[in-house]
Amino acid sequence: MDYLIFSFSLMLVYIGLAQLLHIQFGMAGIPNFGVVGFWGLGLYGTGVLYLTYDVPLFIAIAMASLLSAAAGYVLALLVLQRSGQAVLAATLALSAIIATLIVSEKDITGGVQGLGTIKFPFGDMDGRNIVFMVFILIVVIALVWLSAKLRDSRMGRQLVAIRDNEELAASLGKNTASTKRWVFAVTCGMMGVLGGMSAPLHQFLVPYQLAPSLTFAVWIALVLGGKGHNLGATVGVFVTFGLFDILIETYAPVPAEQAILLPNFKLFCYGLVLIMIIMFRPRGMLGEDKPRVRARPAQAQGVPRET
Amino acid sequence: MLLLDSIFIGLLEASPLILAAMGFTLIFYLNGFMNIAYAESITFGAYFAILFNVVLGAHFYLAIVPSMLLSGALSVAVYLGIFRPALNRGVGPTEMIILSVGVSFLLRYGLILAVGPVNMFLNEPNITYLQFLGMGATNLQLVALVLVLIAAGTLYWMIYNTGLGEQMRGLANNHDLAMASGINPHRTSVAIWFIAGCAGGLSGIFSGVFAQVTPYMGWNVILITMLVTIVAGVGSVRGAVIAAVAAGILTAFITLVTKPLYAEVILLTMFIAVLTFRGARTA
Amino acid sequence: MRLEAQNLTKAYHAHEVVNIKNVTFGSGGLEGLIGPNGAGKSTLMGLLTRRIAPTSGDIQLDVGNGVHKLNPLKSHEVARIGLIKTNQRIQGFDSLTIKDSLRLAATPPKDEGFASLFAKERDSDEIEAKVAQLVEAFPFTDRNGYAMSGGEKKLVDILRCLIAEPKLFLMDEPTAGLPDDITRMVMDMVRQKVANGEMRVVVVEHDLPMIWEYCDYVHFLSEGSILFDGTPEEVKSNRVVAEKYMGV
Repeated sequence: MDYLIFSFSLMLVYIGLAQLLHIQFGMAGIPNFGVVGFWGLGLYGTGVLYLTYDVPLFIAIAMASLLSAAAGYVLALLVLQRSGQAVLAATLALSAIIATLIVSEKDITGGVQGLGTIKFPFGDMDGRNIVFMVFILIVVIALVWLSAKLRDSRMGRQLVAIRDNEELAASLGKNTASTKRWVFAVTCGMMGVLGGMSAPLHQFLVPYQLAPSLTFAVWIALVLGGKGHNLGATVGVFVTFGLFDILIETYAPVPAEQAILLPNFKLFCYGLVLIMIIMFRPRGMLGEDKPRVRARPAQAQGVPRET
Repeated sequence: MLLLDSIFIGLLEASPLILAAMGFTLIFYLNGFMNIAYAESITFGAYFAILFNVVLGAHFYLAIVPSMLLSGALSVAVYLGIFRPALNRGVGPTEMIILSVGVSFLLRYGLILAVGPVNMFLNEPNITYLQFLGMGATNLQLVALVLVLIAAGTLYWMIYNTGLGEQMRGLANNHDLAMASGINPHRTSVAIWFIAGCAGGLSGIFSGVFAQVTPYMGWNVILITMLVTIVAGVGSVRGAVIAAVAAGILTAFITLVTKPLYAEVILLTMFIAVLTFRGARTA
Repeated sequence: MRLEAQNLTKAYHAHEVVNIKNVTFGSGGLEGLIGPNGAGKSTLMGLLTRRIAPTSGDIQLDVGNGVHKLNPLKSHEVARIGLIKTNQRIQGFDSLTIKDSLRLAATPPKDEGFASLFAKERDSDEIEAKVAQLVEAFPFTDRNGYAMSGGEKKLVDILRCLIAEPKLFLMDEPTAGLPDDITRMVMDMVRQKVANGEMRVVVVEHDLPMIWEYCDYVHFLSEGSILFDGTPEEVKSNRVVAEKYMGV
């Protein structure tokens, strides 16, 4: 039962990350291949603050996510106005730097020995893991709601314009560089929040958790669900993580000797699914959704009503 | 002395990277996307060598050529089966990279499912330790260095001095014009993907013989290969060679003065810095 | 309203495309910029809006609230001062409808921050009215949908700049890709706005009859330099212009 709650909590974290990637890549066109780095800064930042400096958990999460946001801001300042491929490589490189520093700075992070134990908040309450799961759920629902608000807002419209044709948007007076930078920093900061909330989930932090496989799992989920749809992240994570990591790993009757190969089989299938999606349904399962704006009668005199 | 040591160690260590970077650059140049699945050309090169050298018992040096060719063939198969249809469908550069991640996963985890998630070792030829200008190296390392330099030189010559190189440059710069002037895009592309696959395979064989053969070995060097390629400028094979050598020497130097982990951090940070000034601007 | 360039040069490698001692735009209402192919018209337009970095020279814009030196400014800053240019080649936002594209251009950047997530209405009535008025004035295939043809995209490009209310409006070959009747509708609208004192306009064109008909003042550019300025009548009767351009 505890394991199932852990899995569900982790799935919610994945949905949150994919939702933020939907904003970064789906709306603003920024290919962030360093998701795990920003998440990891939140994770380890929270762990170190909580364990070494006795900072209360929620304050530690807030401080650590500021660190993620700052890292996102600085990286944006450096490379966000470069080509998409350069952004992709630089974000991937940043996440590798973070993962390596976590291993090398063992005086702070515990290195490969790890860092622990981070307890759930809410003291000795029974079922506090369930309470914490609900807490994550609320945060993730808020993220999905906010990203719908963004889609329907003037800022979202500007992001789409920047994604489609940045030079044209700039020629109309939009400060595209600054908009992208702030959106990137804020969403990276939120990835840090999710990282911080993962700290009590994992309880014990090891550098292995910062492997790029997390980044790819999130990407695969988003591309599969639909990068341009507000619910693409949720659907994608349900189909990938929900199906493989929860349903099959928990309930499928796989003999023990084959069970070690199961994660590999999962990633093999992910590869296959990714190829199929890009080739045959590049917009993902849900396709794209358009801003929902309340239709209003036109106000100008002598102008016919919109239909 | 520290400098000489760094250069020597750097060259030894960078020799597989030079080959990988050249092959990666060729595809980047020809088709305009970063092929992450190139990692598997490297990995499979090493596993084909396991097949010939360990399973079939051939001498290591004899195993090199057929393994390399098989890796090239695999690269062509992946191109014809997946990447060419995708390019024909008009898939954009970022989506092509995501697609190549998918291909990479498919091949890597397919391999693990087939041979198991265990590390393997190539049967090395007899190792003798040689003194060379006051610096130590094994005969295998020196042979590898020489072979890699020959292969890299051949590749370099092919790109800049033969019809194939010219055709490739024509196709990359202006696809329609190149076709109008009688270049067969199909044959040229297949040749380039084959050569790139061979280069990756060879790179994998030598990385494998110095350490071990693992399903993740290609993946572990693909980030650095990617960065070397971007820093070198889009599709400059010349630049890729220089950047790869520089990266190798730099890594060796930093490793000698600090910890190996810091070498990686410093190198990656420098790459991001270079991207800041060199990467193509968007707006 | 004055846009002034001094000693402005742009060279690609050793080849000088633009070399202008002094030119002033914006003092003559609706101005034309003409010249043979390759005279450097588009490069000059790019230099003026800071999309192309000059090799040397200064550009200044006086919009009545002080003189702005354009050299250190970025593309979006130039646009915010009030200098906006249409595109010669078709440019657009593929994911935005015609109306959304215009709403975007009409929205001041300060209203597009994070706070806009929680705004009650996405666009103010004022903006909706402006958009509706412009869209209704032209025969789009689907006024609530996307620009369909190249011509519609070109028209949207021009309208997008107009709705952003530039003080100095640069039009780069508005006739290219637009049907004649639409071009006339656009130019009539532009002339009206100039007459109302809303903006000054510079039109780069090959279509000389249109220049003679609409422009108050014409600059003739040849081989990267301004050879002659004057009223359409003066330019038409100038011997150098006739030789170099009209092939008389």
